[in-house]
Amino acid sequence: MNSPLKDLLRFFVASVLIMLAAAALNFTVDPLQIFRASRQFTAVYSPDSRLQNAGLIRSQTFDTLFMGTSLAIHFRQSDIDRILGVKSLKLSMTGSSSREQVFVLDAAMARKPRRVIWEVDDWVFHDTPDIDANTYLPADLYRGGPKGIASYLFSGEMARVSVWIAAQSIPAFKPILKSLTSETLLKFPISDVDDINTLQAGEDVGARYNAARAMAAYRYITDPARRKYLLDDTDYDMKVRVFERDAIGLIKSHPDVTFDIYLPPYSILQWLALRETSPETLTSVDEFSAYLCRRLMDFPNVRLFDFRAIKEVTHDLNNYSDVIHHSPDIDLKVLQWLAQGKYRVDRARPTEYLDQLKAQVEAYRLVSEGQDALTDDFGQGGASR
Amino acid sequence: MLFNSYPFIFVFLPAVLLGYFAANRLGPTAPVIWLALASLVFYSFSNWPFVALLLASIAFNYVIGWLLISRNLREGRRFAVLVAGVAGDLLTLGVFKYAGFVLSNIDTLFSTSFAVNILLPVGISFYTFTQIAFLVDAYRGKVAHYALPHYALFVTYFPHLIAGPILHHRDMIPQFESNDSKRPNPRLILYGLIIFGIGLFKKTGLADGIQPLVALAFHQASPSFDQAWIGALAYTFQLYFDFSGYSDMAIGISLMFGIFLPLNFNSPYKATSIIDFWRRWHMTLSQFLRDYLYIPLGGNRHGSLLRYTNLMITMLLGGLWHGAAWTFVIWGALHGLYLCINHAWINYGPPIPARLQRPAGVAAFLLTFLAVVVAWVFFRADSLASALSLLSRMADPGQIVFGRTEMVQGLLIAVYAAIAWFAPNTQEITGYDHKNRLVGENIGPWQVRPLLLYGGAAAFAFGVLGIQQHSEFIYFRF
Repeated sequence: MNSPLKDLLRFFVASVLIMLAAAALNFTVDPLQIFRASRQFTAVYSPDSRLQNAGLIRSQTFDTLFMGTSLAIHFRQSDIDRILGVKSLKLSMTGSSSREQVFVLDAAMARKPRRVIWEVDDWVFHDTPDIDANTYLPADLYRGGPKGIASYLFSGEMARVSVWIAAQSIPAFKPILKSLTSETLLKFPISDVDDINTLQAGEDVGARYNAARAMAAYRYITDPARRKYLLDDTDYDMKVRVFERDAIGLIKSHPDVTFDIYLPPYSILQWLALRETSPETLTSVDEFSAYLCRRLMDFPNVRLFDFRAIKEVTHDLNNYSDVIHHSPDIDLKVLQWLAQGKYRVDRARPTEYLDQLKAQVEAYRLVSEGQDALTDDFGQGGASR
Repeated sequence: MLFNSYPFIFVFLPAVLLGYFAANRLGPTAPVIWLALASLVFYSFSNWPFVALLLASIAFNYVIGWLLISRNLREGRRFAVLVAGVAGDLLTLGVFKYAGFVLSNIDTLFSTSFAVNILLPVGISFYTFTQIAFLVDAYRGKVAHYALPHYALFVTYFPHLIAGPILHHRDMIPQFESNDSKRPNPRLILYGLIIFGIGLFKKTGLADGIQPLVALAFHQASPSFDQAWIGALAYTFQLYFDFSGYSDMAIGISLMFGIFLPLNFNSPYKATSIIDFWRRWHMTLSQFLRDYLYIPLGGNRHGSLLRYTNLMITMLLGGLWHGAAWTFVIWGALHGLYLCINHAWINYGPPIPARLQRPAGVAAFLLTFLAVVVAWVFFRADSLASALSLLSRMADPGQIVFGRTEMVQGLLIAVYAAIAWFAPNTQEITGYDHKNRLVGENIGPWQVRPLLLYGGAAAFAFGVLGIQQHSEFIYFRF
């Protein structure tokens, strides 16, 4: 063997050893808690819920799953547990499709939860690529197969997190590392599972949720240059097909699990935007809503709650950061309504709340869309009935 | 298929490498045909609908080249054939890359409601330019007749096909014809792996690592002064490590096949003038624009005014080459303006006294870097309005957040800046010398073999560990 060949061999051996060392470190520290709950090392969590959920469903103890989109992302598990008397695991994912939600819920079903609380938006039911083509959700890691485990163990990013966690176990390094811990350098900056994707302590809720912001968002989405995006939501048949495949498929395959499904309280501006810019979309959404409400009544393990017509919430624009996202105060109200069984859809009148909403949307009038009209029932919203 | 993917690194590349050397037993043309076929397979993995377009482009240009080289046409006819060839290439590029842009502008001006949505074939800008250069040189009588397999490989050669470097036929085809490159050379394979490893680490470790910070400036409605600067600088370094990482990988892969690709980067952010910058950034594009656009336009041969005009035209078209959008046109125009100012300063500026040479050099370096960052804002922004909005934020120190998060982000930017400004580049580390076909020689005493070997292995290992599910190279879209 001549020297270049020996060097080539050394190169490969050194590369493989470094990769194996990284894998061994990841296995030992296990940042996602895939193999075991953290005991020897500090538990840390990532706000990237598509990644983090893969670990949470293995490491956490729960009897209730909490799922949804960004509208259900700020809930605290401790609030859910306290108000509903359960042991919950929040799995909400910002911008998630029904395919993603059902895939994650299905993976968590292996731990035999008794109940699923599911925040449902009509727009999550749309055609999306197969879950294995989803570059943001590590499907193989959820499945726990060799490919998923290998991608976790041989991940440089995980190795960086592992080094960070391992270094924090050395008392001398802990203060400086803690002060440097941020999402910039570390994808796992959260130290308490209850804090995952909640608003940070000290955050100015009033500055984040107010009528001015809601109205600004309304003006933004109804701008003629952007209003075409509202037209993307008119394929009723596609929504029904995806809804049947994902939501109904999951509900049918788990008859022993109670599904508390709720339709969240968007601001009235969301519906107004549809009415003013794309009435055909509004009609399609209403028709799909009606289908969803009736269809879910077919299942004894489903309790459906419709919060969309609660005027004291949806018409107070100070509850919103844009046209749909409500404040943590409304999160708590949602939990209380669920606990009290309020606004539960009656099997005999499945579209009762939907009909109320339609009447509200039809009757609602903006005072003026101009800046001068920022005076109304609620102080600064630019809109009133 | 991406260079930074497991299937490429652990399946495609080893299989093509083994096949290439094995095919040599069948004769000197067999490895060339094998490599051309493998390149088409590589291209078809992500662009199969456009394989036919690529093959048609090769056939078209080969026939035009044959007419220019092998047929004894009269001068007028030769010129007509050249015009037809270049026009055909530009028409194809125009249809696929610029038709949507032109029609949308016509629509904006005249409300025509015409709109087209044509998919951009990956690599079309690169393979069109290499072939235009071939046709022009064939017309100039600087090209001998090439065999079709060698020509096809020159165009399709997978290490460069998607995002360059832009190859020159006189550089490449003699290497494809050489028998030396078709025998496995462990030394070249080793250095190829080291260079590939460095490039892979640049991409997966550095460029992908800083990518989230870019959103601070470009995906946020109203960033503060510090956030806008952090985002703009993050993009400045992301683009460099992404594209130079890709170029390193291309050079490293090619070296394993015994083929030396031209350099594309030479520490561009160390430049002390814009002229210097363009000698260091995307060097093969600069050379192409100089040889096939700036000089044919007249270059600097007809006085200052025409020189500056030619510079502006060249850089405007260089901007438009990157993409069909006004942001790229403005980016090109800015660099054209910078170059004009730079040349004017050289010609008409005051001489720098000897005692001020050093501070003047530092000032020139900082000014060059600042000018480049400002231009990148247009290059990256979705629209002119958002570019101007971001620049206005960068010019408004009244709004500063600079909390703990921004401090950590600033620290990260400083680390990237230190690497870009003070670290040796890949060719300095490995002694890669494209012109003399050398590697691993003439390197400094600090690059003792074990350090280079194990450092390269570490770069390769960390590069592989850093592979994310899907992370395209920025220059794929050009």
